Amino acid sequence: MMKITKLEQMFDVLRNESKKVLVAACANDSHTIGAVHQSREMGLVEGVLVGDKKKIMDICKEEKIDASLYRIVDEPDDVSAVARAVALINAGEGDILMKGLVNTDKYMRGILNKETGLMEKKAVLSHVTVLENPNYHKLMIVGDVAIIPLPDLDQKVAITNYLIQTAHALGIEKPKVALLAASETVTAKIPANADAAVITKMAERGQIKGALVDGPLAMDLCIDPESVELKGIVSDVAGDADCILFPNIESGNVFYKTNTKLANANLGAVVVGARVPAILSSRGDSVEVKMASIALAAMMARGKA
Amino acid sequence: MKPLRRLSEIAPFLKEKGVCKRVAVACAEDQNTLEAVGRATKEGLIHPLLFGREIPIREAAQKAGDALDSAELRPCADEGEALAQAVEAVKNGEADILMKGLVGTDKFLKAVLHKEHGLMRRDAVMSYTCAIELPAYHKLLFVSDTAVLPFPDLDQKIAMIDYSVEMAHKFGIETPRVALIGASEKVSPHFPNSIDYALISRMNARKQITGCVIDGPLDIFCACDPESLAIKGVASPLEGDADILIFPSLEASNAFYKGLMLFAGGELAGLIQGTEKPVVVMSRSETALSKFYCMALACLVAES
Repeated sequence: MMKITKLEQMFDVLRNESKKVLVAACANDSHTIGAVHQSREMGLVEGVLVGDKKKIMDICKEEKIDASLYRIVDEPDDVSAVARAVALINAGEGDILMKGLVNTDKYMRGILNKETGLMEKKAVLSHVTVLENPNYHKLMIVGDVAIIPLPDLDQKVAITNYLIQTAHALGIEKPKVALLAASETVTAKIPANADAAVITKMAERGQIKGALVDGPLAMDLCIDPESVELKGIVSDVAGDADCILFPNIESGNVFYKTNTKLANANLGAVVVGARVPAILSSRGDSVEVKMASIALAAMMARGKA
Repeated sequence: MKPLRRLSEIAPFLKEKGVCKRVAVACAEDQNTLEAVGRATKEGLIHPLLFGREIPIREAAQKAGDALDSAELRPCADEGEALAQAVEAVKNGEADILMKGLVGTDKFLKAVLHKEHGLMRRDAVMSYTCAIELPAYHKLLFVSDTAVLPFPDLDQKIAMIDYSVEMAHKFGIETPRVALIGASEKVSPHFPNSIDYALISRMNARKQITGCVIDGPLDIFCACDPESLAIKGVASPLEGDADILIFPSLEASNAFYKGLMLFAGGELAGLIQGTEKPVVVMSRSETALSKFYCMALACLVAES
């Protein structure tokens, strides 16, 4: 498979393949149905709409969408709709979960439910964002900017593995993973630096596979070869990172929002760590972000066969 | 300098250079100590200064043989005075090496550690490194800490490495290979030492610790046996050819070296670390040969 360097390249890959099935939980509004429909039109996925059937039919009519293109599962209550969507996936009838008109807490609770949810035992639920910044020569796969506020060492290892899996799903065979801190110095006094050094050693020992891993690295050392040369850092990751692990949610969140708001970056994002990729987009997201997120989820589901 | 690969190579190396160091023996009224001093004197490695009570020293020296006729006797009224004066002699440059005689190790080390009158380098951690010679290994193994620090923390482990590397350099080993010893090569928060080791080896990769190549955690097999390393498939820059072994605890290192002495025909020489000048503390149970090696090691470290 070709290496994806722009988000839209995902569309080309997916268009020519058999489709994964996206299950929209609580598809009771035009934003959700519109996104599912558009992604289907683009050839990214097939759709299942779980929600209030009457509302769904009305919206389709209003938006001039052919409802017969979709499997519609009638489940008017929002919590039940999430549960039903999750059950469909656990029964093998869907490959991707998407949030509709239901608040995030209820949606996440459906995923996390110990008996009926989508989590394997001890799995860590996290979030991966793929950024396309016009000033960088390839995609940046980053995490966790949305779910885990202050990951501990084990959680950071889990997130690192999710970043690597995402890169693999995008055709990046041996991604370069940078572990972010404020400097490249190894010290026990700063937890971000210490954890980064420990994770790097774990990768050296083959405890993290399928990637080149190095940290701690400051942001300039992650992505700018000139800074790397100036500092004299010897690293097979620095200056050319595919993936960046953030030490906490604040730094990750500020990074992606700065990218999108000040540097015209586009992005796709998915919730990872569940049995299938889950989409958490909000009504405020642009069509580009929604399509990129659905495509990203489909790329990841595709890897799971 | 061609690296010294055996403890027996130290004395000839020093003799060829014409090295003769002045050794201040604190509380020298002890036959066991004076036998070791006598042999090194006879070999021309040292010139002894004996601090302590005159008559008992003369008696002990006589029993220890005739090698001590040239020794300088510094009569002292009691143990405290002998200890203080011996330390002072090293501090003011009159002697190059301090050696413990018939005095408790605690008292002796207390004098060495004394802030004003002692022999510690500024802000230094006191530790211990020994060089072990084994028939089954192709070169010397430097091991720390076998005597002083029970549970070294991260900074103390780094100090142990610095001292051991410094000693290996004196043996002509330009870039010693340092293995951080654990029960396996895996890094896991369930094994706190493995976390320290991961940090230290990455500090070395970032050039925050220089003059050596560090890897860890490694077990003894992966540290010292290329075959085991290959079987395990661990990519280690040490290539199973370690010069220095850093242990996570005194129990582990102590059991390691004593096992080697007892069952594997090992000989050793060790020194207190963190001091301005070499400080020799020998155990009475060591072999005469190990004691001689220890004197030679002190002279080697005192040199240059």
